[in-house]
Amino acid sequence: MRNFDYQKPAQESEAIRSGQTTGARFIAGGTLLVDLLRLDVEQPELLVDLSALPWRQIEVAADGVRIGALVSNSDLAEHPAILAGFPALSQALLSGASPQLRNMATVGGNLLQRTRCAYFRDVAVSACNKRKAGSGCAALAGYSRMHAVLGVSDQCIALHPSDMCVALLAMDAVVHTRGPDGERSIFLADFHTLPGAHPEIESALKHGELVTHVSLPKTSFSARSAYVKARDRASYAFALASSAAAIDLDGQIIRQARVALGGVGTKPWRCMEVEQALVGRPATREVFQAAAALAMSDARTTEHNGFKVQLARRVIVRALERVGGVL
Amino acid sequence: MMRVASLFLHPSLLALGLPMNRGQPMVIAFHNELQLQESLTLEQIRAELRGLGAALILVARGAVFVFQPDDEVDIQGSNIGIRAAAVDELRVACGFAPGAPAHELSLVVLSGGGSVVARHSLLATDSRLALKGLAEALSIAGTQAIGPHPATISRREVVLASLVGAFALLTADGCRPHAPPPSGPAAPPVPINRARKITLNVNGQAHELEVEPRVSLLDALRERLGLTGSKKGCDHGQCGACTVLVAGKRVNACLTLAIMVGEAPVTTIEGLAKGERLHAMQAAFVEEDALQCGYCTPGQIMSALGLIMENRAHTDAEVREHMSGNICRCGAYPNIVSAIQKARLETVPS
Repeated sequence: MRNFDYQKPAQESEAIRSGQTTGARFIAGGTLLVDLLRLDVEQPELLVDLSALPWRQIEVAADGVRIGALVSNSDLAEHPAILAGFPALSQALLSGASPQLRNMATVGGNLLQRTRCAYFRDVAVSACNKRKAGSGCAALAGYSRMHAVLGVSDQCIALHPSDMCVALLAMDAVVHTRGPDGERSIFLADFHTLPGAHPEIESALKHGELVTHVSLPKTSFSARSAYVKARDRASYAFALASSAAAIDLDGQIIRQARVALGGVGTKPWRCMEVEQALVGRPATREVFQAAAALAMSDARTTEHNGFKVQLARRVIVRALERVGGVL
Repeated sequence: MMRVASLFLHPSLLALGLPMNRGQPMVIAFHNELQLQESLTLEQIRAELRGLGAALILVARGAVFVFQPDDEVDIQGSNIGIRAAAVDELRVACGFAPGAPAHELSLVVLSGGGSVVARHSLLATDSRLALKGLAEALSIAGTQAIGPHPATISRREVVLASLVGAFALLTADGCRPHAPPPSGPAAPPVPINRARKITLNVNGQAHELEVEPRVSLLDALRERLGLTGSKKGCDHGQCGACTVLVAGKRVNACLTLAIMVGEAPVTTIEGLAKGERLHAMQAAFVEEDALQCGYCTPGQIMSALGLIMENRAHTDAEVREHMSGNICRCGAYPNIVSAIQKARLETVPS
């Protein structure tokens, strides 16, 4: 592993100042960054360790929950307010990685999780627009079974691997940041960027800007939510397709709905076309199937990942069945 | 002595057709008797090579071995035959006298651009000593080679520049004979010390260490404190063999930087038994025959302890789900589940 410098600021202001340095990277849980350092994909000059900052609180208020950026994935998944009020988030977190990794990984880090694209992770492959802007994309002509089919571009088809973000997206989460220019609040839907012509840019965060916390508004649908994940083995695997679904029921009639997909997009993917087809309709399997059939119409598949179109529609139905009491 | 801009382009090296990554730094070591066998020393050598990002080219009597730091110990597959005359040519190219004296271990470290950044010789009368000598020499060479650079230019830029240079030369020059390089003295490397003093609290004992920020908790435990119970399987957080408890929670020591652990108590497999008396979980693994080769076992046991403290797995299915971060290639899973259930019922937190 290359060498680098290390700082552990005790104050937020100090962290933001250090983060401005060229070649600086923030580190929290380290589960992704240390891995990428070892692969030589990330080559920082300086690591700024955030672990001394006081961002480990989960605060529950009448209008929602505020989650500190350093809360571990395990602590968030097990929190009573999340289990009761945002079950899809808890399920998504527990379906991700391993218990060891969930103990280490933080909410802020999970938001900034980078792709598992094998070509991105292998520095011996020279062509990766995400790793090295303008160098090409080896995945386009490579083995792409795990790659994205939504939001892809001619420059990148790397999949966004997070489970947590899919659930957050379905729950109207807001990401709060602080940087040299002050504080910002960004809807999760706007936080991740599509690869387009610049796959090397992955989020709205600027260099040196820190995620301080994530807020989840109290909604009429979040408590009735579920996360369903299809993968190659029963545990400890990335999604082939996953769905977070949440609905608000008036008797048998769906008043509001949220449906998001993971495992298929270059960013967590919200399916508004499915949501619209659900509203005002009864919560039945037929309605769910008809609505889910509208998803994935913009999918651009390769010879290896065409199966994701049907699989994604099916995980949507499964998640809706779970929240709709149909199962 | 013939001198070329990049030793990578030297005919004696090109003739070997080494299976190298382009522009990768390289350590060329000459010793007639040296054999690489699994040992603690070999781990040190691996660590040094990783630090340098270099491959080791071992030139022994009649054969050249290529050793990448993450290779399996069995390096027979990379064995390339070499004549005595060619060994001499290579020695001379590296700045040593032809005709290797018996027992002499000589090595050079080449940067990504193929220039010699460190050179070292010592006497080692047998293979074991040579191995030890190689580790020490690499360590010395590493400090010489991984130098800092003037403040205006980062180390990465230097490495990058040398890589770009090497690629350009390789593609442009191919295998043509080489003109003498532009003269001028190379800047002497200035040692950089990024190491920090830390205190690791392991198994109830405080250890003062000086580590670079890049050192993982796993490497600090294994290579600095001699606590080799925690195993290095994948070194990427995928197998769980390195699982230890930090502040009572199970984590992957391979993805934890030692410098970030701070004062938090670390528990490793070595900290479980009380004298000759095994911890209940260790005893259960023995009684239930929960292992075959045993390599994953320390990680399984530490993970199982974390699981019990989390107090969330009760059924066999839950145990399997919450142990999924520990891979066992022998497939001892059924007995691992039995052992955990047995120990859990004996030690379950109230």
